[in-house]
Amino acid sequence: MTAKKKLIALFVLIVFLHSFVLFKINFAQQVEQEKTGTIQEEASEKIVPGPQGIKESTGLYVFIAWLWLAILVLVYVLRLKIKEEDRLLEMRFLSEKKK
Amino acid sequence: MKLKHSLFTRRQFLNGLLGGWLGAFAASFLYPVLKFIFPPTREPEEVILPFVDFQDMEPNTVKIFAWGSKPGILKRNDDRSYTAFVAVCTHLDCNVTYLPDQRKFYCACHEGWYDENGVHTAGPPPRPLRRLSLSIEGENLVIKREGVE
Amino acid sequence: MKEKNVKKDIRSWLDERSGLSAVFRFLREKKIPQHKHSIWYYTGSAILLFFGIQVITGFMLVFYYNPTLEEANSSVARIMTEVPLGWIIRSVHSWSASFMIVFVFIHLLSIWITKGYRKPRELTWMSGVFLLVLSLLFGFTGYLLPWDDLSLSATKVGTDIPRSIPVVGVWVTKFLRGGEDVTGDTLTRFFGFHVCILPIFLLALLAVHVYLIQKQGMSLPLDLERKEEKVKELPFWPNFVYREMIVWLVLVGVLFTVSVFFPPSLDKAADLMAPAPEGIKPEWYFLFLFQMLKIFPAKILFMNGDTLAVLLILLGGTAFFFLPLIDNKPAERKGKMTTVIAYLFIIYAVGMSVWSLL
Repeated sequence: MTAKKKLIALFVLIVFLHSFVLFKINFAQQVEQEKTGTIQEEASEKIVPGPQGIKESTGLYVFIAWLWLAILVLVYVLRLKIKEEDRLLEMRFLSEKKK
Repeated sequence: MKLKHSLFTRRQFLNGLLGGWLGAFAASFLYPVLKFIFPPTREPEEVILPFVDFQDMEPNTVKIFAWGSKPGILKRNDDRSYTAFVAVCTHLDCNVTYLPDQRKFYCACHEGWYDENGVHTAGPPPRPLRRLSLSIEGENLVIKREGVE
Repeated sequence: MKEKNVKKDIRSWLDERSGLSAVFRFLREKKIPQHKHSIWYYTGSAILLFFGIQVITGFMLVFYYNPTLEEANSSVARIMTEVPLGWIIRSVHSWSASFMIVFVFIHLLSIWITKGYRKPRELTWMSGVFLLVLSLLFGFTGYLLPWDDLSLSATKVGTDIPRSIPVVGVWVTKFLRGGEDVTGDTLTRFFGFHVCILPIFLLALLAVHVYLIQKQGMSLPLDLERKEEKVKELPFWPNFVYREMIVWLVLVGVLFTVSVFFPPSLDKAADLMAPAPEGIKPEWYFLFLFQMLKIFPAKILFMNGDTLAVLLILLGGTAFFFLPLIDNKPAERKGKMTTVIAYLFIIYAVGMSVWSLL
C-alpha cells in the first residue's frame, strides 16, 4: 500500500470514527432533552454534563480544533523523522553488507 | 542577509520542530488539568443574615457567622455599632477568638494578639484581621467583602 | 556548543551512578519485525497509553470523590457541576476505560490468532490472562463508584453470580460485598479495590509481562518463523517509537473528542430499598456473559441453571488460561482448531452482546 493510500485510509478512518459527531453536532445536554424518559421527575434529576453557555462551548470547539491541528502537524513531522531514520538505517545496513 | 553556514542542521531543525510541537501539545492539556486541581476560591461575594439574630447583642460581645468555609466574627462595639471581621489569624490561618475582659482578639496557635479593632498588637501576626463591610438592609444584615459594591 | 557539553555531562554523571545507558542501548538494539501482521504490535502499548490516562485522570478524580454511601453520588455530582472541567475529566476516565478494554480484547485475539503464546512465551500469555481479569475487575469496581441506581443494580447482579459456584461461591460473594448484601460497605470496599489493591497487583503483573517480552523479544507469526529468509526488522528506538507516537497521538485525539461530545451523565443517588430500575445491564464488556446467564434455564436435569452456566464460564476461562499448553502443536490440526475457536469466540461474544441489547 503506497504512502498516499495509507494517508487517505487514515483520514477516512478518522472521519468515520467521527461520523457520529458530524450527524449530531449537539452536545449531550441538548440530546438528553430530546430523549424524554418514562418518568419526568427522574429525567430532571439526572445530571447531564456539558459546557455551560456559549463561552465554554466555543472554548471547547477551539480546543478540539487546535488539538487536531497539533496532531496533524505532529504526524507530519513524525513522518519526516521516520523517513529520515529509515534512510539512515538503510545506509547502515548497506555499509555493513559491504563489509 | 545571507548566511554562509546554516544556523542548525536539518536534523536539529526537525528535532526542534518535533520537540516544540510535542511540548505545545502537552502544555495544552496542562491548562485544564491545572484548572481542575486548583478550583477557584470559595469565598462568597456577600452573606445575608437575618438581623433579628444580632440586634439584641450586648456591647463588647461577639457572634460567629459563616463566611463561606471560614468563620466570620461580628462584634458589637461600645457605641452600639457593629464591625465584622474574618476570624482567621493573619499569621498561619488558625481561627481567632475574642476575649471581652481584655478587649482583645486572641489566636491560640502561636499567641497572636489583636486589639478590639482587629489591629495586630503582639505575637507573630503580620497584618490586622481582615474587615468585612456590613450594612443593614431592611430585615437583613448584609455582609460583603470590603471594596465590593 | 556549550549546551551540548552540559547535556553530555549530566548524562554521564547519571550513567556513572545508575548504569542507565544500558537501558538506552537495549532500546536501540531491540528489534521489531516488519511483516504483514506487524500492525498488531501496536496494541500492547495502546493498552499502556489508556492505562496511563486512567491513572492520571483517576488521581484527579480521587481529589474530589468521597467513597461513602452518603457522599458518593453527590461528590460525583460536584465534580460534574462545580469543579472546573470536572465533567471532562470524568468523561475521559469513563471512555478511556472502555478504550483500554477494547484494546485488551484486540491484543488478546491477535496473540491468540497469531499464536504468539507458543514456546517460550507461555508465561507471557498467562500473566496476560491475569492482566485481562484485573482490567475487567477495574471496570467492574469503578462502575459502582458513582452509586446511582443503575450501577447499584449492576453490582448486585454481578456480585450475586459467583454465589452459584459450588462450595466457595457464597464466600466469594461475601468477600466482594463485605457482607451478605450490597451496602455502603460494598462501596468502600470496591473503592479500596479500585484505587489501591488492583493497581498494585496490576503493576506487579505488568512488570512480569513486560520483562518477559523484553527478555524473549517480539514473537513472529508461525509461517514466518519457519521460513529460511530473515524478516526485515526495525530498531525499537527510534524507528518503531516514532511510529508508535503517531498511533498514540491519534488515539488521544479520538479519546478526547469522544469524551467531550459524549460525556456520561449521572443519575440520582441509589436507593437501597427501591426496586430494580428497568433495563439494567452491565458494562458492554460483560454483556456476552450476562446474556449467557440469561438464556440458561433455571434448572437443567438435576443442576441449577446458573451453576452450570458459571461452571461452563470457569471451564472456558481455565482452558483459555492454559491455551499455550493445550495448543502445544500449533502447526498441526490441533493448532488450526484453536485458531478456528478464536474466530468462533469472536462471533459468539459479539452475537451474544448484540442479543442482550435487543
